[in-house]
Amino acid sequence: MISVRDLRKHYRVHQRQAGLLAAVRSVFSRPTRLVKAVDGIDFEIPAGARVGFLGPNGAGKTTTLKVLSGLLHPTSGEVSVMGHEPRRREDAFLKRIMLVMGQKQQLLWDLPPAETFELNRAIYGVSMPQFRRTLKELDDALELGELVRKPTRQLSLGERMKCELAAALIHRPSVLFLDEPTIGLDVSMQVILRRFIKRYNEETGATLILTSHDMDDVAALCPRVVVIDKGRLSFDGPLTALVRKVRPEKRLVLELSAETPDAALEDLGRVVEREPGRVVLQVDQDQVHHTISRALAQLPVSDLTVEGAPLEEVMSELFARSRADREGESAAAGGEGAR
Amino acid sequence: MSFRSGLRATPTIYKVAFSEAIAYRAEMIVWALSSSMPFVMLAMWSAVAADGPVGRFTAAGFGAYFLCTFIVRQLTGAWVAWQMNFEVRTGVMSMRLLRPVHPIWHFGVENAAYLPMRIAVSLPIAVILLVVLGRDAVSSSTLMWGMWLLAVVGAWWINFLASAAVGTLSLYMEQSIRVMDVWFLLYSLFSGYLIPVELFPGWIRPAIEWLPFRFIIDVPVQIMTGAVTVEEGAQLLLGQWTWVGVFLAVTLLLWKSGLKRFGAYGG
Amino acid sequence: MLRYLRLFGIQIRASLLLVLQYRADFLLDAVLSLVGPLTALVPLWVVFEQSDHLAGWSFPESLLVLGWFMLLQGILEGAINPSLTTVVEHIRKGTLDFVLIKPADAQFLVSTAKFLPARGINIVAAIGVFAWSFAEMGRTPSAWGLVQAFILLLTATLLLYSLWILTISLAFYVVRVDNLTYLFTALFDAARWPSSVFRGVWGILFTFVIPLALMTTWPSVAMLGNLGNSALVGGILGALAFSAVARGIWMLSLAKYTSASS
Repeated sequence: MISVRDLRKHYRVHQRQAGLLAAVRSVFSRPTRLVKAVDGIDFEIPAGARVGFLGPNGAGKTTTLKVLSGLLHPTSGEVSVMGHEPRRREDAFLKRIMLVMGQKQQLLWDLPPAETFELNRAIYGVSMPQFRRTLKELDDALELGELVRKPTRQLSLGERMKCELAAALIHRPSVLFLDEPTIGLDVSMQVILRRFIKRYNEETGATLILTSHDMDDVAALCPRVVVIDKGRLSFDGPLTALVRKVRPEKRLVLELSAETPDAALEDLGRVVEREPGRVVLQVDQDQVHHTISRALAQLPVSDLTVEGAPLEEVMSELFARSRADREGESAAAGGEGAR
Repeated sequence: MSFRSGLRATPTIYKVAFSEAIAYRAEMIVWALSSSMPFVMLAMWSAVAADGPVGRFTAAGFGAYFLCTFIVRQLTGAWVAWQMNFEVRTGVMSMRLLRPVHPIWHFGVENAAYLPMRIAVSLPIAVILLVVLGRDAVSSSTLMWGMWLLAVVGAWWINFLASAAVGTLSLYMEQSIRVMDVWFLLYSLFSGYLIPVELFPGWIRPAIEWLPFRFIIDVPVQIMTGAVTVEEGAQLLLGQWTWVGVFLAVTLLLWKSGLKRFGAYGG
Repeated sequence: MLRYLRLFGIQIRASLLLVLQYRADFLLDAVLSLVGPLTALVPLWVVFEQSDHLAGWSFPESLLVLGWFMLLQGILEGAINPSLTTVVEHIRKGTLDFVLIKPADAQFLVSTAKFLPARGINIVAAIGVFAWSFAEMGRTPSAWGLVQAFILLLTATLLLYSLWILTISLAFYVVRVDNLTYLFTALFDAARWPSSVFRGVWGILFTFVIPLALMTTWPSVAMLGNLGNSALVGGILGALAFSAVARGIWMLSLAKYTSASS
């Protein structure tokens, strides 16, 4: 129901350098360069799916999101969301989608969120009974209470995001685009929002597309991830498959009840953390069973946990690898050019 | 000490602000266009003078007057009031207060960094003035031009300090923008920008001549068009620099107590 | 259509709520709004101390033009300016996307974003000036003249609005926009004078490029009973054409709009 084929988005930007001379020169002539924010992306997302867009900063994630929501016109390629072409910005299309951006809000600043709800109700043409019903559900799920009657500027960031999310769902969109929705929020608020977003997807069957740098967001919400780097797709599939592909090792966290020489630990696997009484070993997936039995036999183990590698590490590993690949490519190309 | 480090940082502050001033070409054009008011007034007053001189002004006299007004306005413009208001509202002012440079000095240097660009804009106008209206349109005495330089510097100081005083009001109240609008209205009316001060009727003119506004545009223009004698010019300069002193004191005082209030409310 | 009317009502309500919430500001605004009309009289008064006519217009006739200027300034500063400057804020904060993603015309949404009712004082002052002018002339305007003037009020508002749309469309290309609103106000100020004051290049500029003449001089001529009907029709068509051009440029600018970073 979301289908993207060979999407490209290129910009022309002015080049600007620091320094007095460069500033004066720029009054008369300004070189431009082409930025390929998105450079050939394909994917399909079925209705009701939850997908995370991951990638380093400037990778093209937000650009892709904006193309999907009709805010940006693609340079080339075919995009279809629920059978509509987003760039045509048909009313029927706009009434079924919504965009939520962390740190930026659509709530009217000096007035209570309730006023923004009312405004959205009118703009999206939601009937009064439906509106009241939806509001009640949102109020229960997000525990808004009196917040909606206080001017937005008096709310804390977390309270604002809750109301922002409520305002976004007044018209019950079928596709929800979320751009870093939990950025800057405290941990408990992040958990509340994540739980709510997941529930919305499960109860209404809405499709969710989320971009985030927070791996807890991704882990909690996105069974499928699309990794975008430098405008190109570098992975599209289940999150677990990504982890297995990039960092197939598992971690063994051992609590030790007695002094243990390092040599004994290094024998079992790669030591990634070492504290008195505690060690974390990294072992290949297929070695896990074997290593556990050896550890229990050879070491004074009082507690044992098996974990996957932290997602942050998986991601930075992935980005580092693709960067190295690209550098290799450009080095090869440079070498050919020099010839 | 804040003063010394401020002084040391000044050349760099100037350079950076200058780069900023010329960074956006479209803005420079927009901004030059928006100072076009004198030309509108020139058209208007020329129409009035079509049937005979108004006061001592013939149509050519108005031409000289308003072209000079444009030039002087370019050289003495200050917008620090709006800048301050913006920075207080967006929280950038707090960052400025953390720096070891007195903010008013900082603003002043930034403001002055726009002068080269403004001079570049007024140069063609000055050329037009001389070519179209002839050398008689402006004074030919070197002493006068020396006084003119002093008058322009004084005018710049009054305008800047007054603008800074109004801007300081944003430390006290949120709606200081309205006050700025009123200030600007009074300024355009009584400084000679829209109407030569001497054309105001006799009973109100003395009041206007005491107000600081006329020392910003009217005095430098009078000097450069040779409309006053050396003695009169000297007297006007004295009055002008007295006002500079007054505004210096007022602005710094307002700033000091404004800061206390700003700090008390957390900005 | 009905939906847009309802939306308009809601937008006005939001602005009113805002004004009522900050009552002290509203009072200050109202008081300061008086300064505008009062000081608007000064230039005209100085001119007529020195001479008894201005480019063929007598004092009471010039007063009419000034009255229309004050009236339009009230509409400009009360309805058009506050709304369209929210576009500038949106671009600065990166929140224009929220406007664009809504299933309503973006131009409509940004044009009705904010109203300042205190500027209604300008309208009252303008009516006062009209009354003064006709009292000085010792006559009353003709009924048909008033009808023409009212029609021209609508076309003038449409023109002002279109001019603003053009200015704001520039905001998509120009990075620092505060100067734009200032530019507009500076250029509009020429409208306080009867258009025959401006000759040659200025005349062409202020009649066809930025049709100030149409906005203040023509309604005054209508009130004096001297406006031909063909001129009225020309004015209406001109305003409609102008607003079509403005809308076209707005749509083009929106199309070029790229969000400022993520």
